Amino acid sequence: MADAIVSFQDVALGYDGRPVLEGLTLDVGPGDFIALLGLNGCGKSTILKGMAGIIQPLRGRIRSVLNGRPVRFGYVPQRETIDMVFPLTVLEVALMGTYGRVRPGRPITHADRELVRACLADVGLTDLQRKPFPALSGGQRQRVLIARALAAEPDLLLLDEPLSGIDLRAAQVIMELIARLHQDRGLTTVMVSHHLKALREREAVKDVVWVHEGQLLRGPAATMLAPDMVFRMMDAEIG
Amino acid sequence: MDTLLEILNPNFLLRNALYGGLIIGIVAPLVGIYLLARRMVFLGVALPQVSTAGIAAAFIWHAFFHGHPDRDVNDFMIALVGSSLLTFGVIVVLALLERRKRGILEGRVAMLYAVAGAATILLVASDRITEIGILGLLKGEIIAIPDTELLILLLGYGTILVLLTVFHKELVLVTVDREMAISLGKRVGVWDLLLFGVIGVTISLGVLVVGPLVMFGFLIVPPMIAGRLAIGMRNVSVMAAVLGAAVALVGFAVAYRLDWPTGPTDVALAGVVLAVVVAAQAMRTFVFRTAVK
Repeated sequence: MADAIVSFQDVALGYDGRPVLEGLTLDVGPGDFIALLGLNGCGKSTILKGMAGIIQPLRGRIRSVLNGRPVRFGYVPQRETIDMVFPLTVLEVALMGTYGRVRPGRPITHADRELVRACLADVGLTDLQRKPFPALSGGQRQRVLIARALAAEPDLLLLDEPLSGIDLRAAQVIMELIARLHQDRGLTTVMVSHHLKALREREAVKDVVWVHEGQLLRGPAATMLAPDMVFRMMDAEIG
Repeated sequence: MDTLLEILNPNFLLRNALYGGLIIGIVAPLVGIYLLARRMVFLGVALPQVSTAGIAAAFIWHAFFHGHPDRDVNDFMIALVGSSLLTFGVIVVLALLERRKRGILEGRVAMLYAVAGAATILLVASDRITEIGILGLLKGEIIAIPDTELLILLLGYGTILVLLTVFHKELVLVTVDREMAISLGKRVGVWDLLLFGVIGVTISLGVLVVGPLVMFGFLIVPPMIAGRLAIGMRNVSVMAAVLGAAVALVGFAVAYRLDWPTGPTDVALAGVVLAVVVAAQAMRTFVFRTAVK
């Protein structure tokens, strides 16, 4: 894909020098909404981290350029990876999204604070700005992390299991939010998830990439989320 | 009250000891916040002990080659060099081992504490004069601090305070969510280096004045109290610094009045405050649950 904003070229990804995935080739185009699916431990989060530059490829090349400049990532990690000994407020967590733009040693500007407040309003959490982040419900925390990612004014939104560990209603709210952000802002989105039902219900999800036995299988959502495909990819048995 | 007024008098004989305690009481908790946030509390125990071993080694080395120095700036500088070299050396080694994921951090730190403590005792046991000086340090007797040493402490800790304030958001980001920091293009290695450098200077300089026990007390206890009372990282930081200063001031007054060693009095007072806060919060929770039923 000539205009891909992120392009994997025969990439190997892994930890401590040991590859988890090899020979990866994947392009993410502007405006794409890709769901990344697969069994537990197949490497979905690893691919997401490779995209965000959190881990470097062991082999191959990951190209992430948009209009001649590096792609800005809005990374939403799994909630459990954030370890808070001290209770940061919702606003403090969301403000972190601006730190990539603000030079070291410089204070956060009024404009950045207003941007963050707007992002919190987008996710419906204006009233909880001063609440401690650890005191929120799972769904609320997820929305704060999405607001934080939006505060980075990203070109690409990367979400790692945003629907895990929360109830059905909260999952629907978050999925609606992500779909709305994609449609209203044209925000390119890559999302790791196990919630097949939530993905099927959203027309916004255009492509699905299955991570299966170290290979990436990409196709339209309608095809890749069909029951027979799901059973094959999840190594499930019928009957 | 009379005691407080006496010690706050600019002509108070031991004013430098009070000022030194206040400087450490304000800045050390701000550094300790990061030790707690990174779950490296045991490092706050072990590094002061390592620093003390460095001081003892420096004195022994100097006495072996040059005889026993008089109590002057050279004495302080020798101790500072020994303290800094060993503290920073250990930090670098621990960081490298952690990066390569070798062994268990808690095990390494525990071993460090034990070995550093044993080394200190063995070193001072080999020289009577050094032993007397080091024992006072270990007991935390903050009595007399020369003007020059106080100035060095003020400059060092003042620099630390500026660094922690100016780079607050970067240090919090790499501490709370390292992966987010990388995704935003932050050089987490550089910020880790800065933070470890700040920790090293704080401990190596502070141990010279108040000893390892008091250093650990100021690093950890005020932030633990503040973490229970304040919401928001900035509020926790301010409260930890205020609590540290208050403990240093009141602890000094109590120790002066009762002729107790200052350092242990400070730490005991901080412990009492923590216990009161924990008890009050437990009582509040109990009353609330009882009322709900």
